[in-house]
Amino acid sequence: MHNNSMIFKKKTPLLVFLVPAFAFMAVYLFYPFVMNIINSFSDIPSLGASSKGWLDPWYSNYQRLVTDPYMRTAFVNTMLMMLCTIVFQVGIALILAMLVDNIRRGSGFFRTVYFFPIVISATALGLMFNLLFWYDTGPINTILLQFGWDHLVNWKEDHWMFTMFTPVMWQYVGYYFVIIVTGLNNISPDVYEAAEIDGATGMQVVWRIKLPLLYNTLCTCLTLAITGALKVFDLPWTMMPKGIPLEKSWLTGTYMYKYSLGGANNIGYSSAIAIFIVILGVLLSQLANRIFKEKDY
Amino acid sequence: MKKLLALVSALTLSAALLAGCASAPASTPASTGSTAGAASTAAEAKPVELRVVSSFSGTDGNRKAFETAYKAWEAATGNTVKDESQTSDETWKAKVLADFETGSDPDVLFFFNGNDANTIVEGGKVVSIEDIRKEYPNYASNMNDSSIPASPVDGKQYAVPTAGYWEGMFTNTKVLEDCGLTAPDANTTWDEFLEMCETIKAKGYTPIAASLQQVPHYWFEFTILNNDGVTGHLNVPATADDAAGKAWQAGLEDIKVLYEKGYFPANTLSASDEETFQLMYDGKAAFAIDGSWKTGQIVDNVDADHLADYTCTYVPAKGDRKPTDIIGGLSMGYYITEKAWADPDKRAAAVSFVEALTTDEVIIEMAAGSAATALKVAPPKPADLNSLQEAAFNMVAGATSVTPAVQDYIKPEAKAQILETDTKLVANGSITAAQALENMIKANG
Repeated sequence: MHNNSMIFKKKTPLLVFLVPAFAFMAVYLFYPFVMNIINSFSDIPSLGASSKGWLDPWYSNYQRLVTDPYMRTAFVNTMLMMLCTIVFQVGIALILAMLVDNIRRGSGFFRTVYFFPIVISATALGLMFNLLFWYDTGPINTILLQFGWDHLVNWKEDHWMFTMFTPVMWQYVGYYFVIIVTGLNNISPDVYEAAEIDGATGMQVVWRIKLPLLYNTLCTCLTLAITGALKVFDLPWTMMPKGIPLEKSWLTGTYMYKYSLGGANNIGYSSAIAIFIVILGVLLSQLANRIFKEKDY
Repeated sequence: MKKLLALVSALTLSAALLAGCASAPASTPASTGSTAGAASTAAEAKPVELRVVSSFSGTDGNRKAFETAYKAWEAATGNTVKDESQTSDETWKAKVLADFETGSDPDVLFFFNGNDANTIVEGGKVVSIEDIRKEYPNYASNMNDSSIPASPVDGKQYAVPTAGYWEGMFTNTKVLEDCGLTAPDANTTWDEFLEMCETIKAKGYTPIAASLQQVPHYWFEFTILNNDGVTGHLNVPATADDAAGKAWQAGLEDIKVLYEKGYFPANTLSASDEETFQLMYDGKAAFAIDGSWKTGQIVDNVDADHLADYTCTYVPAKGDRKPTDIIGGLSMGYYITEKAWADPDKRAAAVSFVEALTTDEVIIEMAAGSAATALKVAPPKPADLNSLQEAAFNMVAGATSVTPAVQDYIKPEAKAQILETDTKLVANGSITAAQALENMIKANG
């Protein structure tokens, strides 16, 4: 008892472990974040260049942020991405997990197959889907023509949202699938046995046992999905760079990149967009935490 | 607890200050008074290591010539080169400029000579050719001074150019043959070109392989040249209604006409450049304007037996411009940095390095027969040219003028605005050419 209390009185070991990590965070997270706030009020002609001073008026990047029609597009698309993530990524993952949970053999195989897209780099996936949706004799259009379609489908122009969202949804279904399957495995077999004795049907087991007991797992998935949707960047940028088509497909992340490393070179404005993304992320994650509050059983 | 907080705060502050120190710009002043001393040092120079940053990376067509030349220089002088070459793109440009900001200046830099280098020129980070010649009168003496591009900042020349670029019209002659046409030549007018496009379209081909989404740059440049002519081409519009502004609007309207007539690929508003140029390789499109670098790519991608299906010719003209007035220039060159110039040990080595990398032999090898150079001697015609290279050589040899691309004279944000955003929006009628001009002028500051 005496020794245990001494552990908490001696602060040195605590400092040894905490300070380096905190210093690392300070230098590589807090300091850049503060600089990012300062940069958003500054006139910086290109990445790496010195600031030419404060903007006139100093808040002009934020003024531009609220009047920029493409920023509005980026915001709406990001919100749509979030909605689709919730409905399709978590929804499909839930259905697949329920199905796999019902089979006795081969569940390991399905887990591997569904999880596999996660381990492939988003850039490689983007290139692969680019080839699939290739306008002139890409595989999808070739198959459609074989089945009697009378024209080539311009996926990136006429169905740009489907073309951009589908690969993103597909890539992360396996991620939520694994989390939900793990949640299902944690449900005690006794509950299933009791249900069987009571004569519950398969659907009743799903609605009355599995879904209620998965509540906390689903809350975690939904919170991850909401915050994850805000960070989606690489796959859309590989497939639909620079707002393809006609500036319609911007996301907040890709639009910020346009002004930092994407050629438009307005670091101040890019910083202002970054601040907006951070604020949006904090607000939405707080909202998600309140809506999807985990229950104690 | 207070002590703990104080310690953590102190450490954090120290770390932040250290990071701040790292990003402070180099404060080495220009040592104008040390010129004589440096000259004497140059004569007795000891071997040094030069940090060289260039875009001659592993994939660059001129990498071999660059490497051979600097290794020969190393062997001859005993100096060594710390080669930090990378492929040129926006990230590389930003990294090079960031290096200067953080005091990590290279000794010699191969970089763009237009607006991209404005911050290093404004910051006094590089030495002008004029200043170098005060001490080394023969520096870049194998070049025509009038052909060495000047900095937009102060009109002074800083970068010694190597081989430049040109832009021309690549043509699939097999497609044209099937349409009963021949490739445009030195006399083809814009109206004749439109008629050719109509014939090609009627035959079921795509007349022009171009992605207005990704690379409208070449068509933008030539349609403007068609409207402002050689003498006015480098004037950047100050208002949408001045002479340059009207020419730019007319150029954008010409692109719109091509789009509305259906001469571009059906997916030109969303396709990538490689996707549209594939139509040329597949024998589905007739024309594509591109740069000198495309010659090598076509040679690499096409069987030797089918290379004769491609040629390179002049872009049809209208107004005061002749088809033989082409776009081209020397967009990059070697800079000697102030850091190397101020270092008595490195000054002579840097000068000697640039001289060794810009000899007639090295530049002629890099020019590969057709690229523009600033050399006083005219590059000879190489003996082993294939049919496409021969056509490119003849096109450049027959050019009546070579004008730089005006898009390199506007700020990156303005360039992105008009080329990556607004050109396609004008083409499909989402905005007017006047609106596009106003957006560009606003972004250009």
